[in-house]
Parts: sequence; structure tokens; C-alpha cells
Amino acid sequence: MRDEVELSIVGPEGVPLRFPAATIGERAMALGLDLLILFLALLSVGIGLVAMGAFTGLVSFLGLALIAAFLIQHGYFIFFETHWQGATPGKRLLKIKVISRDGGGLRTDAIIARNLMRDVELFLPLAIVGAPEQVFGDAPWWMLLPTILWLLAMMLLPFFAKERTRVGDLVGGTLVVRIPHAELVRDEAARTSLVPDAPDTRDALAFTLAQLEHYGERELEALADLMRKHEQGKASAEDLRVVARTIAQKIGFGGPLPTSEPARFLRTFYKQQRAHLERKLLFGRRKSSKFDG
Amino acid sequence: MSATRQPRSVAFRKEREGQWFELDRLTDKALRQGLKSLDAAELHRLPVLYRACIASLSVARRTAMDQTLIAYLEALAGRAYLAVYGSRRSTRGALRRALFEEFPRRVRALGGELALSTGLLTLGAVVAWTLMNLEPGWYDAFVNPALAGGRDPYASTETLRSALYDGADHGEALGVFASFLFVHNARIGLMCFALGFAAGIPTAILLFTNGLMLGAFLHLYHSRGLLFELVGWLLPHGVPEIGAVILCGAAGLHIGRAMLLPGRRKVRDSLARAGRHSAIVVAGAVVLFAIAGLVEGIFRQAVTDDTARYALAGFNLLWFFAWLFVAGRAGARRGVEARGVEARGVELRGAGVRDA
Repeated sequence: MRDEVELSIVGPEGVPLRFPAATIGERAMALGLDLLILFLALLSVGIGLVAMGAFTGLVSFLGLALIAAFLIQHGYFIFFETHWQGATPGKRLLKIKVISRDGGGLRTDAIIARNLMRDVELFLPLAIVGAPEQVFGDAPWWMLLPTILWLLAMMLLPFFAKERTRVGDLVGGTLVVRIPHAELVRDEAARTSLVPDAPDTRDALAFTLAQLEHYGERELEALADLMRKHEQGKASAEDLRVVARTIAQKIGFGGPLPTSEPARFLRTFYKQQRAHLERKLLFGRRKSSKFDG
Repeated sequence: MSATRQPRSVAFRKEREGQWFELDRLTDKALRQGLKSLDAAELHRLPVLYRACIASLSVARRTAMDQTLIAYLEALAGRAYLAVYGSRRSTRGALRRALFEEFPRRVRALGGELALSTGLLTLGAVVAWTLMNLEPGWYDAFVNPALAGGRDPYASTETLRSALYDGADHGEALGVFASFLFVHNARIGLMCFALGFAAGIPTAILLFTNGLMLGAFLHLYHSRGLLFELVGWLLPHGVPEIGAVILCGAAGLHIGRAMLLPGRRKVRDSLARAGRHSAIVVAGAVVLFAIAGLVEGIFRQAVTDDTARYALAGFNLLWFFAWLFVAGRAGARRGVEARGVEARGVELRGAGVRDA
């Protein structure tokens, strides 16, 4: 399985939004669950109606069973995706959803289109595996071969498509995404409403503009990561000390502070470095790393 | 300027955090229990908060140096998008509008494909007729014996005639037969749509072979001097049924055309457009198949008088063409106006969003 695929759509507000694409495994599991539910629904409705037919002696129940089976098989996905905001029970359990690739709302016609394609993508190949003579009759090999190759190519499409789309997604103009998980961690440069007891960073320690000219965004992010790890206990005080001393040396900061209080030194440096970079950014100068001019 | 001041993104976050958390809470509720679980005030608040979050996100992307903040806003905006635009809640009269405005409008927009689909079906019928004129034995090549039910060139004229008029006394079994025919035909119709994805070729073949079958039947009864009676038997249910086959064929051909001739659009976009357009046409065709099944199961064998059959056929032709070619024209004009207003509304809202 490949790594995360990121899908980008432009919402009605004109701002690009990014979603992680649902993996093929997640989609397969959702489909498996849905097919199981579908099968059980067909079975119980079928048995129920046939039993009622046998009980009352009315043949009409058989006709009703035929129609019910058709409606359940073709309506299941369409019903849930329209009523549960782009998710069938299987998709809901796996926390994935159908969205419209054009960024607009997910409309019913897109849902119908993507689900009608299941006929040739899924049910037809299943029927061929189950009872080939029923599907093909006595068709000659030169018709069989392209048909089977074509069906195979359609089934395998999600493995090759850039956005992991199946044929139904192409015809419906849809994508299947994982619902993003949003968690706001505390800001390393501030005491925020989330962490009222964050260390006070209002202090006399001040870096000169020249000292803040060395590093760029990438180093800043690495520093934030290190401080976060330290708070979670994944980085020791010694790690902080090494980094603090390296920075002090590079920017020409004298004094014992980097060695004696590396945490305070780093936090203050981080805050002022970020303020400096953001100020520069406002004037249109982005410094992405220390190698950036 | 002193370098000890707070980074701007800290103040930015402090000012907006409250809104983000509120949006997070509403989104969570909407995703878990559906939009229906939100009360009126929350429903009003959700899009406002969502747009504020989108604005925050685009500002943060440009000016903030805190990657965790940007990642959080990306995820929050994505979740909120799913809650807000997940799918439209159905409004009153949506089904009526879909059936009597959207469906006929989309059928009419398929002009070329409808002509091609009708042409292929007719071509099949003409080919079958011509070949059977030369050699009646062709019948076996065109008609599946399972569907013919003994109606073949080797049957006596009397058998063929009785197939058209008998069966009124079967009563209940007809209902089952009608359901079977509906399901069988609707499946073929849906297949016609889905097979359009192979450049429309299988759809064209399916239309042509159905035409062959039709032509063979017509010729068989013609050769026994029963053409008038056959058409009277065929038309009442044939109008919606053949009509629906032609619609499904046109839908499949539309998809095939979108792949082969995408014009100025990308193939992907052209395909999705055609797929959505055709989906409504096919859904409407399934309704037509259901009507055909009803007519077939209930009226066909019960009404054995030729005049009554032709009257019913005429009536069916009338509503069929009124539905597909007249209905929804007024709605089309209204729809255009409504869309214009909506577009302006979006523009105004866009201009109203300001942040930092």
C-alpha cells in the first residue's frame, strides 16, 4: 500500500481544502460491511415475503419479493449516501465519506451515477465468477477476451488512479476521503486558553535583529517539535542543552543561559524568531530555511 | 520595533480560538448525528463559523509560522466542509421537481444521443426485417428462445394469435410476471448506462440487438397477417418500455461521447458532467419501466379488444410525449433565474468576508 494520498478540492468559498484520501483497505472494508448488510437485508426480506406468500397462498408476494430485491440492491447505497451525508453504514464505521470533486455540495445525481456503476464494476464480475455461462452464453473468444480484460481494468483502477478513484467516482465526479481529525495542540510561543499554566515568557531576554537573521521556517518548526517532545518526556534536558548551545554558537549569543536554562532560552528564542519571521512574511519575504537568502 | 513582542500568530489564534472550538463542537454533532440534530440557532451559526474558519485558514496559510496551527485549521475546515456541504437536505417537493422538471429537461438536452439511440434500435429492426424477408430462418439468430416462449416461425398461426389474446384468466400469476419483466428490463436499462463507460460501444450493441429482436417479431407476425394485432398488443406497454430503453441507451451513449469527444473540457470533467446528467435520465427511465410493467401485467391480457388496445396506446403516447417534451419548460426558466440570484449571493458573501 502506498503512503497517504492528499486530495485537494476548492470549496464554494474559493479556498482550497485538503483531505486525506481513504485507503483502498478502508474502502474495501466499508464495502464488505455494506455487502454483508445488503445480503442480510435481501435474505430477511426475501424469506419474509416468500413465507407470507406460502402462508396466505398468494402468488403476488413472489412478485413483491422480486421488486423488493431490485430496490434494495440498487437503492441501498443511494439511499444512505443521500440521507447520511455521503456515508453508508460501512463508510460511517470506517469514518470515510463521499465528497464532490468540484467542491460543491454532494448532489443526488452524482450519488446515483457513482452507484449505478457498481453494476459493471462489482456485480457483473461477481456474476461472471459465479456463473460465466449465464452471462456470456456462447459468445466467441474474441468478444470474451476484451470484455474480461476491460472488466479487470475497471476493477483494478483504484490501485492505479492518482486519487484512488473507482470508475463510479469518475462517472459521478466524486472522491472518497477520510474525515480529518482536528486537534489543536498548545502554541509553544504563548500561554493560551488551553494551557493557563504555561511558563511565563515575558522576560528581559532579547535577541538582536542580526541574531534572528540566521534561521528560517524549517528550523523553527524543528525547534517547536523538540520543545513539544520535551514536554511529553520524549526528549531529555540534555537534548535541549545541546540544541541551545548550537544555536547560541551560531547566532553569537554569549553568556551561561543556554547551558543553565536551556528550556527558557529556547522558548524565548523560538517566540522571538517566529515573531521576526512572521513580520518579514508580512512584507512578502519568506525565509523557508537557513539556506534561503 | 522591539523583537520581544508576541508573534502575530499568537494574537491571531487567541482572538479566534473560541470560534474554532465552537465550530468543532457543532461539526462533531452534525457529523455524528446529522444536521437534523442541530437546533435553529446552531444551524444558523454553523455556516457563519465555517466561513470564519475558512478565512482564518487562508490567513494562517499565508502568515503563520506555526505548522501545528495550520494543520489544525486544515483539519477543522475539512470537517466543517463535510458537515456543511456533505449533501443537501431534501426540500419539500424535491421528488416532484426531479420527476417533472429535472428529468424531462435532461432528456431534452440529450437530443443527439436520443436520435442515435432511436436510430440504432430502428436499424436493428430494419436489418432483421430485411434479412427475414430473404430467409425466415434468421429468426433463430435474433430472438432468444427463452424470451420467445414458443412464438417462432414453426408455430401455427393460431398459436401466435392466441399468444396475443390469452392469459386474462391467469389473474394473479400475471402480477408476478409483470414484476419479473420490470426487474429484468430495469436491470438491462441500468446496464445500458453503466456500459456507456466502454466508449458507448456495448450500449450501441445492446440497442442494436434489441432492435433485431423487435424487427424479427414484427416480421414473424406480419408474415402471418397479424401485424395489426401484434402492434395493438405491443404498443400499450411498448410506449413506456421502448421509450425507456431508448432513454437508457441515450444515457449510455452520452457517457461514451463524453469520453471520446470531451471538447474543451478535461476528459475527467466531461465524464463526470455526462455521468451526473445521465443518472437522472436513467432514474426516470426506471420509473417508465415500472409503468410499463404495470400496464403489461394488469391491462395487456385483460384488455383483449383491439380498439381498446389502440385507444390505450394512444393515451400512453400522449402522456409520454407530454411528460418528456413539454413538462418542466416553465420550471427551466424559473431555475435559470434562481441560479442567477444564487450566484450573485455567493459573490456578495465572498466580498463580505474579511479577516486580519
